[in-house]
Amino acid sequence: MPVTVEVPTEKWAGKVIEVKLGATKEEGGSRAGTVTVGGETTLPFLTFEGGIPNQPVVAAEVWDVEPADWSPVLLEAWGNAVKDPVVWAQQAAALGAKLIALKLRSTDPDGQNASPAEAAATVKRVLAAVDLPLLVYGPGQAEKDNDVLVAVAEASAGERLALGLCEQSNYRTIVAACLGNGHVAIGRAPIDVNMQKQLNILMSDMGLPLDRILMDPTTGGLGYGIEYTYSVMERLRFGALQGDRMTQLPLINTVGEEAWRQKEAKAAEGVPEAWGDLAKRGLSWEMLTATSMLEAGSDIVVLRHPNSIGIINGVIAKLMGR
Amino acid sequence: MSRLIAAAAIRGANGVVAQASQELEAAIAAYGPDKPVAFPNTAYYLPVTLGFMGHRVERLADLRPVIKHAKELLHPVPQQRLWLPYLGETLDSGVATLLAEEAIEGIRFVRGEEPQKIQAGTDVEGADDSGLYTLNGPIDDVQLRSWGIQLVDGRMPGFAAIVGAAKSNEVAVKIVRELQQRGILVFLSGNVNGRSIIDQLLEEGVQLGYDTYTVPFGRDTISAIYALGFAMRSALTFGGMKAGQARDLLLYNKYRVFAFVLALGEVDDLKYATAAGAISYGFPTIADTLIPNILPTGVTQYEHVVSMPFDEIPGANDLERAEKLVQKCIEVRGVKVKISKVPIPVAYGSAFEGERVRREAMRIEFGGRASSCFEYLRMLDPDQVEPGKITVVGPGLDGVADGGALPLGIVVDVAGRKMQKDFEPVLERQIHHFVNGAEGVQHIGQRDITWIRISKTAVAKGFDIRHLGEIVIARMLSEFSAIVDKVQVTLYTGKAEVEKTMALAQAAYRDRNERVAGLTDESVDTYYSCTLCQSFAPNHVCIINPERVGLCGAYNWLDCKASHQINPTGPNQPVPKGMCVDPVRGEWDNVNDFVYRHSNQSVSRFTLYTMMDAPMTSCGCFECIIMLIPEANGVMVLSREDPSMSPAGMTFSTLAGLAGGGLQTPGMMGVGKYYLTSKKFIPADGGHRRIVWMSSVLKDSMREDLQTMFSSIGEPDLMDKIADETVATSVEELLAVLEERGHPALTMDPMF
Repeated sequence: MPVTVEVPTEKWAGKVIEVKLGATKEEGGSRAGTVTVGGETTLPFLTFEGGIPNQPVVAAEVWDVEPADWSPVLLEAWGNAVKDPVVWAQQAAALGAKLIALKLRSTDPDGQNASPAEAAATVKRVLAAVDLPLLVYGPGQAEKDNDVLVAVAEASAGERLALGLCEQSNYRTIVAACLGNGHVAIGRAPIDVNMQKQLNILMSDMGLPLDRILMDPTTGGLGYGIEYTYSVMERLRFGALQGDRMTQLPLINTVGEEAWRQKEAKAAEGVPEAWGDLAKRGLSWEMLTATSMLEAGSDIVVLRHPNSIGIINGVIAKLMGR
Repeated sequence: MSRLIAAAAIRGANGVVAQASQELEAAIAAYGPDKPVAFPNTAYYLPVTLGFMGHRVERLADLRPVIKHAKELLHPVPQQRLWLPYLGETLDSGVATLLAEEAIEGIRFVRGEEPQKIQAGTDVEGADDSGLYTLNGPIDDVQLRSWGIQLVDGRMPGFAAIVGAAKSNEVAVKIVRELQQRGILVFLSGNVNGRSIIDQLLEEGVQLGYDTYTVPFGRDTISAIYALGFAMRSALTFGGMKAGQARDLLLYNKYRVFAFVLALGEVDDLKYATAAGAISYGFPTIADTLIPNILPTGVTQYEHVVSMPFDEIPGANDLERAEKLVQKCIEVRGVKVKISKVPIPVAYGSAFEGERVRREAMRIEFGGRASSCFEYLRMLDPDQVEPGKITVVGPGLDGVADGGALPLGIVVDVAGRKMQKDFEPVLERQIHHFVNGAEGVQHIGQRDITWIRISKTAVAKGFDIRHLGEIVIARMLSEFSAIVDKVQVTLYTGKAEVEKTMALAQAAYRDRNERVAGLTDESVDTYYSCTLCQSFAPNHVCIINPERVGLCGAYNWLDCKASHQINPTGPNQPVPKGMCVDPVRGEWDNVNDFVYRHSNQSVSRFTLYTMMDAPMTSCGCFECIIMLIPEANGVMVLSREDPSMSPAGMTFSTLAGLAGGGLQTPGMMGVGKYYLTSKKFIPADGGHRRIVWMSSVLKDSMREDLQTMFSSIGEPDLMDKIADETVATSVEELLAVLEERGHPALTMDPMF
C-alpha cells in the first residue's frame, strides 16, 4: 500500500549573504570567472527546504615556499610542484580546485623573512598563471601580516582577493587595505559565536560592507575539537537563518591545516597496527574533517592533499543531489 | 554662532568666489575652454569638487558649473542689526570657499604656477642651485593610500592643517616637533603679512616632505585646500562612498579622520571662510590669537572654534606655551594618541605577570611588612593633567641598601572626555596587571596594601622608580583610550609625603566604598548584561544589577558600565530595566526581553530577587551555589573552595553540573560570594535568615562583612546559628544543629 509521507520543512526568515570572490576583466580584475559563496536560506544541503544558490567550494592550499613541516605524504603527493607556487597553483586548478588559498609563508619573520614587495610579486605571478580567484594569507604574525597584506592589496587592487586573517586584536590594517583596494577580508574568531559576531561588527563598523567579509570560526581537526567547531558553526548558521545579520556571512574552514596537524595524520611509527596505512589514514583524516565541516555549513573548505580536491568535489556534488 | 565669525566668513567667501570667477574667465580667454585641468598623480580629479558635487573637472570649462554652484551657496554679509543664528549661512559660505579655492588651484596648475616655488637660499636642503625650493602641492595618490590606511587603522592619530606663521621660528619648530612626536601628520600653508610657517621651518633647517610627515602645500591660505582634498580622497578611497555623497563623506571625516586646523597669527576673512569649510568636515579650528570662541558641540564632535591667545597661555616660556597649544588642539579634536611600546629598559609582556621576585633576588621593595605603599588613581580636569608627565618626589634607589625598602605612593591622574568618576576604581585595579607585566617587577595587592618588589637584574638593566610611571601611562593609554585621553603619574618616596598623600587616598577609598554601598538597584534605571561565557554556555546571560555582583565575582555593575564604554560592541551591554512586572520578585519587562533574545530564545523570564521562580541562570563560573534544603526551610551556601559533602547529599562538583550550563532550576542558583553581603540577597524568599548552612571557608574569609550584614537585619547571632561542614554533612545532622541553636529559618513561613 503506498504511503504518502510529508517531509516536515522549516521556513526560515534569514538568508546568508552572498560574497563574491575574484573579479573579471570587466570588473577591474583579471579572473576568467568569479566564485560566489553564501546565499543559503536553509541548513546545509536541505535543498528540499530552502534555496542553496551557491554550492560549497574547495580551495587548494598553496604555499610560496616548500613547506618544511608538512607530512611526507603530502609532499610526495604534490611532488615537485611544492617548489614553485605557480606550478603548484596550476596543478591544483587542474585537479578541480575552485579557489587557490595562497599562504605567503616566505614572509615569516622567524623564517625567510621575505619582504612585502617580494610577496606581492609572488601573488601577481600566481594571478598571472591561474585564472581562479585567490585567497591570500600572511605569515600569521600580526605586524608582518599587516605589512605584507597591505602590499599585496595595493599591488593586486581590483582583483577582489580574500585577505586574511583578521582577528580581534589585529584587523584594522587588513580591513583598511581591503577598503582601499576592493578586496574581501577573512575574519577569524577562536571558536566563539559572540566573538565572531563582535569581530564582524568591528570590521563592518570600519565601513567594510558585509558582502566583503568571510567568517573563519577556527577549525578543530577530527578528534581535536571538531565538535566545538561544528557546534559553533551550527549556532552561527541558526542565527543567520533566524535573521541575525551579524551571523549571516559565509563560513570558511582551514581543514587541511588542522587535519594534517594531528598525530593520526602524521605518525607512521609507534602507533597501533590497526591504524593502518599512513598515506590513506592522513587522507581520510582530511576528508572526514572536510565532510563534517561541510555538513556544519561550511561554504569554503581549504584542503591540502591533491586527491582530496576531487573527492570532496564529488562529496559536495552528491550532497547537492547532482 | 559668533556674529563676527559668520560675517567674516561670508565676506571671505564672497571675495574668493569672485576671484575664482574672474581668474577662470581670464584663463578660458587665454587658454581656451578645453585646456586640460588636473592635479598631478591623482585619479580623483579636483577631489573636494568631486566629493561635494560628484562632478569631474577635466578641462577649464568644467569649472564653470563649479563656480556657478559656489555662487549659489553665497549669502549676503549679515547686517549689523541682524542677530539670527548664522550657522547655515556660514557653513554654506565655507563650502563655497573650498570650491572656489580648489578651482583657483586648478587654474594655477594650468598657468604653471603650482606647485609653488620659493626662494629659500642654496643652503636649504632640497633647494636647487639657484636656491629655489619647490613646495609639495597636492599629495599624490600613492602617498594618500599609505597614509590613508594608517589613518583608518589608527596607527596615525590624525592630521593638523597649520595655516599662517608662528610667533617665532623657535615656536614654529616646537609646534611641529610636538605634533610629529605623536605621529600626527602636519600640513603647512598660509602666511601672516607675507611670512609663512614654511619659511620659518626652512630657516631652522627642519626637513619637510613625506618622509618627515610634514608637508608644505603653499605659502597662501588657498593652498590649505589640499588638506581638505586629502581628507575627501581618503573618505572616497577607504569609506566605500561614491563621489557626490557629500553628507556621507563629511560624516566619514567627522567620525573617522581626526584632523584639525591650527591658525597661527592674525585670522583674516579668507581664513575664517576656509575654517568654516573645514568645520563642515567636522574639523575644528584652534587659533593662537584672540578671536571669538564657538564652544557648543554640533557639526564638530566637540568645540568648533577655540581661541588660545599665545601670550596668555600659562607657561614658563614660549616653548612650554607651544606644547600646551598643541595639547589643546588634540583635546579639542579628541585625537587619540597611543604608545605602542612600553618605554622601559626591561622586557614587558603578559608572560611576566606571574613572575615572583624572591627576597635574595630583590633589589628593593615597597610595602609589605617593610614600609607603606599605596596606589591611587583619580580623575582630574583636563587642565590639571600634563600628558605623560612623571614626577618622582623623594629619595631614589641609590641610598637604599640591597634588599632594603622605601615607602611608595603612586598617584595616577587621568583626564578624558568620556572619563567618569565611577571608573576610577575600575582603572585603578588595572595597575596591578600593568606593573606586573615588567620583567623583574612583582606587584601584589591594591589600594593601601600594595606591595611591589623590583629585582636586582631589573635595576642592573636600568629600571628605576620612574619606570613604574612609564608603564602605567603607556598601558592606560593603549588599553583604555576610549575613556582616557591623558595620564600623569606622581611617585612619592619620602615618608612624610607618602603619609600625607596616603591619607588623601584613604579618604577616597572610603568615599568609593560608600558610593558602592549606596548604589542600589532602585538608584539606577539600567542594568548590564554579561555574555562573556556564552562560548561554553550558549544560552546563559548574566544580568548584573548594582546589588548583585556577577556570579563569577569578577564583574560588578560599575565594571560592566566601564567595560561598555571601553568596548561598546563587547559582552557588557546596557539593559534598561523597563516596566516593573513584579517589584517583590524583581522582574522587569525589558530584562525579560533582553534575556530572551540573548539566550537563543531559551529563557523567557528572569527574576532578580528570588531563587524559587525563574531564577537567573548560571554559566558554570559561580563562586558559590545556593540551594534549597526543603527539610530545613532554608538554603545552604556551598563554596567552590569547599570539597566536602553538603547536606544536599552532593559535593560542589556534582552540584555544579546541575546548576550550570544556562539551565534555569528553581531552588538552585550560582552566585558570587559577595552577593551574600548584599541587602538584595534573595529578598523575596526571606533574605539572610534563610541561610541554614554555609561552607566554613566562606564564614572565615568574609566573617567581618557577613557579621555586619547579619547585625544590620537584627540577627547578630546568625553566624553562630548557621551550620557548616564541620557539624553537618547530612540533612539529619543539619536539622539537629538548627534545632539546638534555635535557627530562625525553622519558624519562618514555608519557602514555597
